[in-house]
Amino acid sequence: VAGIELPHKQWPELIGSLLSNIHQVETHVKQATLETLGYICEEVPPQVVDQDQVNRILTAVVQGMNATETSSDVRLAATRALYNALGFAQANFTNDMERDYIMRVVCEATQSSDVKIRQAAFECLVAISSTYYEKLAQYMQDIFNITSKAVREDEEPVALQAIEFWSSICDEEIDILDDYRSEYTGDSDVPCFYFIKQALPALVPMLLETLLKQEEDQDQDEGGWNIAMAGGTCLGLVARTVGDDIVPLVMPFIEENISKPDWRRREAATYAFGSILEGPSPGKLAPIVNVALNFMLAALARDPNNHVKDTTAWTLGRIFEFLHGAVVETSVITQENCQQILTVLLQSMKDVPNVAEKACGALYFLAQGYEDEGSVSPLTPFFQDIFQMLLYVTHREDATESNLRTAAYEALNEVVRCSNDETAPIVMQLIPVIMLELHQTVEAQKLTSDEREKQNDLQGLLCGCLQVIIQKMGSIEGSKYAFMQYADQIMDLLLKVFASRNATVHEEAMLAIGALAYTAGPNFAKYMPQFYQYLEMGLQNFEEYQICAITVGVVGDLCRALEDKILPYCDGIMTQLLKNLSSNQLHRSVKPPIFSCFGDIALAIGENFEKYLVYAMPMLQSAAELSAHAVSQDDEMLEYTNQLRNGILEAYSGILQGFKSSPKTQLLVPYAPHVLQFIDTMYGGREMDDAVMKSALGVLGDLADTLGSHVGPLIRDSSSSKDLIEECMVYDDPLVRESAEWAKHAINRAVSG
Amino acid sequence: MAPPPDHRRPIKRVAISDQQRRRELALRVQADRRSDAQNRARQLASSVLSLGPVTEVEPE
Repeated sequence: VAGIELPHKQWPELIGSLLSNIHQVETHVKQATLETLGYICEEVPPQVVDQDQVNRILTAVVQGMNATETSSDVRLAATRALYNALGFAQANFTNDMERDYIMRVVCEATQSSDVKIRQAAFECLVAISSTYYEKLAQYMQDIFNITSKAVREDEEPVALQAIEFWSSICDEEIDILDDYRSEYTGDSDVPCFYFIKQALPALVPMLLETLLKQEEDQDQDEGGWNIAMAGGTCLGLVARTVGDDIVPLVMPFIEENISKPDWRRREAATYAFGSILEGPSPGKLAPIVNVALNFMLAALARDPNNHVKDTTAWTLGRIFEFLHGAVVETSVITQENCQQILTVLLQSMKDVPNVAEKACGALYFLAQGYEDEGSVSPLTPFFQDIFQMLLYVTHREDATESNLRTAAYEALNEVVRCSNDETAPIVMQLIPVIMLELHQTVEAQKLTSDEREKQNDLQGLLCGCLQVIIQKMGSIEGSKYAFMQYADQIMDLLLKVFASRNATVHEEAMLAIGALAYTAGPNFAKYMPQFYQYLEMGLQNFEEYQICAITVGVVGDLCRALEDKILPYCDGIMTQLLKNLSSNQLHRSVKPPIFSCFGDIALAIGENFEKYLVYAMPMLQSAAELSAHAVSQDDEMLEYTNQLRNGILEAYSGILQGFKSSPKTQLLVPYAPHVLQFIDTMYGGREMDDAVMKSALGVLGDLADTLGSHVGPLIRDSSSSKDLIEECMVYDDPLVRESAEWAKHAINRAVSG
Repeated sequence: MAPPPDHRRPIKRVAISDQQRRRELALRVQADRRSDAQNRARQLASSVLSLGPVTEVEPE
């Protein structure tokens, strides 16, 4: 009730009367009062409570946490209430004395004899680490001592929170350092205090110790979480924070333990190695990985312990992810070791499900490294064997365990993505196999709900696989025609898949159809009568807005494939798109692509877009006005505003280009002042990203190109056009420069003509 | 009060699923094809214009 009333300035006496209870002698009243204050702080936004009341709440809560409080129940309620009240304490954390006092009480509570209080106090420290990172410098030494003791000696729930404190500091520093490196800002609102770098010599040994505290069979427990897992995760974050500096601190641990008879030591060493592969430079890691690779392959093939094999396969995957492919200058994979790697990976796919799943994941990253290789991929000779093994894995009785089937299909997709002219015929052989599998799922009847769920998963995977195959075969000129012989059957199956009621399956089928439309081109028209109902269904799906967004994208694919053959369906599509734009229920992220889609439709049907102008233009104008004046409070809002602007500009471009050379061009002249004003306002606001800049230049050029002398003087007088173009002519991005050149040329023609 | 957030983090998992990748890739490919289509239309307009004077002098 307070959550509803306090923001409306009602129930003003609530907090005051609660606080008067704090002086009650009865413990249960104190405890209940603190719990209520905790609930209120959780529900009510901080700005609703004035600073005086915040001070009194914090005083009551901190007093309740104090070591002088004799009741454990009261101390626990107070500590949990503080967790929720921390968001209110902005002003108090800027005051040195108040902050010192709060920090002292929290640190004291971490030493309580009650495990629940210790856990709640560490949870407070975790929350403080993210909310008040920049205020922590003077407490870090003490916090290190406290967390270090807890990690080494305390019970698991407490130790996990103590590790989480350091993971959370890493999160903060990774974000800040990312901001420092960002090409946009090059700076961060909060400075980096390099706490992790300073703590490194003590922090890393503490984390390495945790790696030895594995549980038996922990890899079979999906979603499991224990000290070793938290420690390894934290070590990975530390590596991402400090880069090369972590390597010399971890290498002795790896060297000492990797060959020990105790599986825990071998696994911990491998996990440490895998954890530090992201962050340090490839130059630092490559020599180590080159030495370790053979050892890792031998361990995956022969280590007697499944846990060690699981971590080894995962580590190999990380090696391929971070030290192989376009991301690095010199890959650690060579023509020579590739065969050995593949032999071991494929063999491991017959291992227990969790090991096989990691082997599939490793193959995924191995293949990813060859996506841009052209026809010299060393995977080429192994394509047949790889597909055979992956299909075998998808049919394993235990393929639903450890996400194995999904991992196998994902690896299959990635191998397809890195196929080329030479391997395309082998991919082509996959098509009937995948179609047969999909056929079997759509024919299956009378399933239990459990079987239905598994079938939905499988249908989603098969549609995803078909999508990847269609995209790839469509992009290889020599395979396109051979592929098209399957188009009718594939389309037939995909339409049957829509009988499923599952959102993921619909989305995957829709994406596959979009890919097929692009590959088939104008020939896709023959499928439209049957497909249209599902297209409309997708556009109407507000609840699963991802489906709606994907379907809007597919309309774009169809426009480009069918061009004016899409005309008979445009009344229905436009009606639905306009409805979607007017709806408050539709997720906002779908709206920018809908505007872009207007452009796709207009470009496809040209002057036939005339009848939609009267509806589409006012929508575009009001959205343009809103987005041009939008004040972006945060990065997320700024990104959305720019997406919206880009969508609107793409719509204008499509419409202008669609009408180009038509006798009806005149119809657009009345809209030109508004379009120019939109660009002027955005340019004045100075928050356009590169994509918006490029689109704005495009629209300026399209206006001039399509409307010529009708708008020449108008463009000449526009405050932004000249400045924007001049500014973009010397821009870093060559595409922006190119667009500026083109726009300038078009405008000059319009003005002189 | 709701329990504090569970701080479990994904273990030995890739940051992005292939499904998410397919979705993002499809959106990126669509955006690229849209801009290709628009650029093609622009180039066509430019080449027609630049060919303008030449076509005038060509004999019918």
